[in-house]
Amino acid sequence: MSFHIDNTPSRVIVYGISLEIPHGETLVLLGRSGSGKTTLLKLINGMLLPTNGEVLIQGRSTAAWDPIRLRRGIGYVIQDAGLFPHFTVAENVALIPTLENWDAARTAARVEEMLQLVGLDPREFARRRPRELSGGQRQRVGVARALAAEPPVMLMDEPFGAVDPIVRERLQNEFLSLQRTQGITVIFVTHDIDEAIKLGDRIAIMRAGKLVQYAPPQELLARPADDFVAQFVGSDRGLKRLALLTVGGVELDPPVDPSRLDGAPVLRPSTNLRDALAAMLSSETQVGLVKDGDRYVGVLTLSTIGKMLRSGTDG
Amino acid sequence: MTAGEPLIRWDWIGTHLDEIAFRTGEHLELTVIAIVVGLVIASGLTFVGLRVPRLYPPISWFSGILYTIPSLALFSVLVPYTGLTLLTAEIGLVSYTLLILIRNIAAGIHSVPVEVRDAARGMGYTPRQILLRIELPLALGVIFAGIRVATITTIGLVTVTALIGQGGFGYFILLGIQLFFSTPLIIGALGSVALAVIADGALVLMQRTLTPWTRIG
Repeated sequence: MSFHIDNTPSRVIVYGISLEIPHGETLVLLGRSGSGKTTLLKLINGMLLPTNGEVLIQGRSTAAWDPIRLRRGIGYVIQDAGLFPHFTVAENVALIPTLENWDAARTAARVEEMLQLVGLDPREFARRRPRELSGGQRQRVGVARALAAEPPVMLMDEPFGAVDPIVRERLQNEFLSLQRTQGITVIFVTHDIDEAIKLGDRIAIMRAGKLVQYAPPQELLARPADDFVAQFVGSDRGLKRLALLTVGGVELDPPVDPSRLDGAPVLRPSTNLRDALAAMLSSETQVGLVKDGDRYVGVLTLSTIGKMLRSGTDG
Repeated sequence: MTAGEPLIRWDWIGTHLDEIAFRTGEHLELTVIAIVVGLVIASGLTFVGLRVPRLYPPISWFSGILYTIPSLALFSVLVPYTGLTLLTAEIGLVSYTLLILIRNIAAGIHSVPVEVRDAARGMGYTPRQILLRIELPLALGVIFAGIRVATITTIGLVTVTALIGQGGFGYFILLGIQLFFSTPLIIGALGSVALAVIADGALVLMQRTLTPWTRIG
């Protein structure tokens, strides 16, 4: 699928993209600004139509959909939220239900439910206007608005780009649990590799309108397709991979008498390997005791972690 | 002025209260008609200009030309065709509102943030819904600023239409000049200024009621 401006092949915006997004997964589009990520999003909800090829939503080409119907079935969240400044928070969240002529009681109930879902107390926030909210709160309202009509698909264009790192991390965590409980298919645009690894089931790396690599985060970090991707994911990609693995997923050494490992950190199966490594390096023993509840399951060593890292890569 | 005559003769005012009330109403009527008709024409022209961007420059240019024609010259050109009528007065008054109203309606619509328009489109608003529910309400502040300027200008200009037999307070000004009598002259001038101040205040109140989102609370 391709998209050109004015049919001039020299002004290709996105080119030769072929992707399939499995239902209920989060696909992250990752790339620098101008790489065609936002264009790709707009091709999905029919704000743009491809010059060549087609975009199929539920098996039907976007060119064949009524654009209004198509967009109302797709949640849309953009940077700075794009809230309507002349609407209250409640009116913003009620946008699609209002357009779809839901009755007042059902709309009000849904608005309350959505605000609670994104962690805003309806009694406190429902009647405020967007300008009376912080950046993080606005972004939450943006997500609530997109979710209100229970769309099976959500498009999110750098939704957390304009908030500070602490708020961003909290919003990301909330997004993850929301996405899992609601079972929606999400296409998420970002230029932040860490955000992509954290949120994506699969990551599509874009460069100058082309798809460079399409893979789950693990594979992307272990086997970058080329130098560009390797550079993009960063020289610390090994550490990033460790953050995706947990102690529970590693083959441990058998338990040793704990008295011989005095001062060794206690690790849980749910601890990620990056945190485990940090704890082990700062202790004198350089190993970790792994306990599942009260049960002592084994010992994690530095060489095990090293083996883990090497096994994923081709080199 | 005649020597020895006081600047204001209060007894004249006392015996002319009915007429002052009548001229106030007339002044207001001429103004309201001009602003309402001006708004209708300006909205139409602006939306043509926004839909077909090629047409906006000539529309803006045309309204600019109208604005620069001296009012006295315009009325003397019109009188042979439309006579000493309300129509003649309104053609002039409406012409002078167009430039300000067209520019402010266009500026208001353009002031709507791109991400707001994008969000509306991406969520399935039809172009008509975007115009009526998003762009127009958000443009209202800037449009009102234009209406206020146009109203004040028009109230001042209405006095000139006394020359073609209309004119509200302009009638008193003309009377004062013809009779070398300062009282009606001052009443006419002050009346026109007072009306402008009151109208402006009323428009500010109206705008605040219509755009509650521009203030906290």
